[in-house]
Amino acid sequence: MSKQYLTAHTVDEAHPAEIFSLALTPTSLLSASGSSALRVHSTTDATFPLQQTIPNAHKLGCHHVVTARGGLGNVAASVGFGGEIKVWALHKPEAASGQQPEWQLRWEIPPSKAQAQNGNANGGVIPGDVWAVALSADENYLACTTSDGRIHVWDIAARERIQTYETGARGGGSFAMAVDLSRDGRLTASGHENGAVYVFNNDAGRMVYSLSGLAKPVRTVAFSPGCKRLAAAGNAGVIAIYDMEHGEHVGNLVAPAARAAWITSLDWNDSGEYLLTGSLDGKVKVWDVARGVCVATHSETDSAVWSVRWLPKSDRALAPGVPRSEMFCAAGASRSITFYREATGS
Amino acid sequence: MSEDRCLGFVPIPSAPPSEALARIEQLLESTLDAMAHGQELVIPYRVRPQSRTSLVSSPSATRGIDGLRFPGRTTLEAERFEALFCIITMSHEALLSGNLITKRNIFYQNPDLFKSQSVVDDMVDNLAYTLGIGREDLNIVAAAKGLVCGPFDLVLRGGSIKPCDTPGDSGLLVPPLASLQGINFRDTRWLLVIEKEATFRTLAASRYAVHSQAGPGILLTAKGFPDLATRRFLSVLATIKPDLSMFALVDFDPYGVAILRTYTYGSQRLDHEENSTVPQLRWLGILSDDLLQNQSSHQGGSQGQSSHPSGQEPQFCPGDVLRSERPAKKVKINHSQNPCDSILPLTQQDRKRAVGLLRDITSNSERTDDDVRQLGGLQQMLMLNVKAEIQAVDHYGDMAAWLDRKLTEHIKA
Repeated sequence: MSKQYLTAHTVDEAHPAEIFSLALTPTSLLSASGSSALRVHSTTDATFPLQQTIPNAHKLGCHHVVTARGGLGNVAASVGFGGEIKVWALHKPEAASGQQPEWQLRWEIPPSKAQAQNGNANGGVIPGDVWAVALSADENYLACTTSDGRIHVWDIAARERIQTYETGARGGGSFAMAVDLSRDGRLTASGHENGAVYVFNNDAGRMVYSLSGLAKPVRTVAFSPGCKRLAAAGNAGVIAIYDMEHGEHVGNLVAPAARAAWITSLDWNDSGEYLLTGSLDGKVKVWDVARGVCVATHSETDSAVWSVRWLPKSDRALAPGVPRSEMFCAAGASRSITFYREATGS
Repeated sequence: MSEDRCLGFVPIPSAPPSEALARIEQLLESTLDAMAHGQELVIPYRVRPQSRTSLVSSPSATRGIDGLRFPGRTTLEAERFEALFCIITMSHEALLSGNLITKRNIFYQNPDLFKSQSVVDDMVDNLAYTLGIGREDLNIVAAAKGLVCGPFDLVLRGGSIKPCDTPGDSGLLVPPLASLQGINFRDTRWLLVIEKEATFRTLAASRYAVHSQAGPGILLTAKGFPDLATRRFLSVLATIKPDLSMFALVDFDPYGVAILRTYTYGSQRLDHEENSTVPQLRWLGILSDDLLQNQSSHQGGSQGQSSHPSGQEPQFCPGDVLRSERPAKKVKINHSQNPCDSILPLTQQDRKRAVGLLRDITSNSERTDDDVRQLGGLQQMLMLNVKAEIQAVDHYGDMAAWLDRKLTEHIKA
């Protein structure tokens, strides 16, 4: 049985350049693009009004912005094309003042520090630039990948790097294009240009699984909310599902089309039943994980979709008369952000 | 000849008489005077400000000096003085006789003295920089690297006419501007700069410039990064014929964008050379859209060109017969027109280079539309983590269909 989603709202020209990344808090949506500013839209209003623009966040443009999945939504992190990481904190004025909460820069990790290697054993190798980033559910830790295949974990409060996972000989690892932290904080996963997916145990500080299955570049990895599963996807155009108890490849979600487009982004819904994907051919798909089938396809645009995200479950209705239902959003080369909601009732 | 000139002929305004000869003679005079009085010989000589990238290669000894002396403090300085003096006398002779000499020629006059071609290149540019004139004002030119072809004529000083569309000819060397009296453009409407010589030669051999659906045009290549002579030539063309649409076809990688920017904005190394930029050059391709379109659909069908899914009987395509002028357009089996076969992942170095270019573009607060387009293109490259060569959009060596579509689109717009 297919599911039906309706377009709830579209924010046209949300950015002056391609939108590369979306991140959600319980009340708002952060977006990053090829321009230097980050934008924040409210998700508690049916018109999704612009709440805040953070100018000059990343001079060369920004390719990743993240919040903690399942977190409180008080911290965000973004990475610019220049290789700098910025950590943002939501500043909440006193309730009486009547002012809106506002994101403020809390900490910047410059490129030289962000890509730093252990000790000084540089050996003349130029360290790779920082690429993907993830935040832990408790908003205390940040994991980022580098183009030479490393994964660094930072303690945000202490402002220091506490762990570096190597995935190849020094400087020889395959470009780590994606990273995620499990909501229980126990595991880190990375997806690489050579198709490899690695899982690390954060308590033990070492790799636990090296997962095969996707021979092509992996552009996105995500742990299920219950931390039992890991989903990975990319140029292969299929979604590989791995079991995290034994590190087994338990199945692929495959579209029936002859040639599947590259998948750029994937996200689990809060119940862990559905996966949302976006791809370069402009399609947004919802997958039923248990049955292994695609249950909804949206193709509002022909141009690349770079990011898709479920909105966190909310108890409040968006507007009077609009039933509460699960929502997601998508953005990409079209520069607009489209919100969808599940069609409920009859 | 006069008939040829009445249609499409545009003269190249001759350069105003340069002060190069006077300055060179002044230099020589003062040197002779000093010699006669038994004083130390000094030739003013300043080193061009170096670009970031070449800082490493510049010996610190030559930085911050204002002249070369003889006899200097070291043998090295004496040698450098001799080399520079040698270049100055050769330039002087060339200016007097009105001939052009190449940098290569200078080197071979005395290979032992100059040691390497790059020493000559560097000294010539520094000399021009010190005298505040262009390299060509010294009547010293680089051996031409660029090739042109198309239905147009080069009219040389002295009146001889060189047509650039002789069949079987795959391109003429770009002539030094000083030797040109003008250009007979005939009916050419566009000019395409091609990064790769191989692509240029294929298109020249198939006489694309004559048979293009976009009308007759001019093809040009500088074989990678453009040399000064080619850039000057383009710059003059853009000046004397402003209605000529100019496009660039480069690889989808950071070097392609860097080459494009060298044409439009000049190079940092030769920043003192004037009239060598072509800001009106448009980025025709290849772009990520060209690669992504291939991913979802077959691109060949757009202009009625034959494009046959694998394993199917090739269909008769009347368009091909009507346009039979284009030779060797054979039916082709299209079984792998998808990006996976023609694209490569970026290397770490490619990524650094792309970020460096992003930094260059964003360092200027005023951005042209072209800057914005290049910014977007580089960001897409980094996001996709792919690069592709021009050949990614060709059809087993035949780029004509793709070019027809692109050029017509752009010229109309």
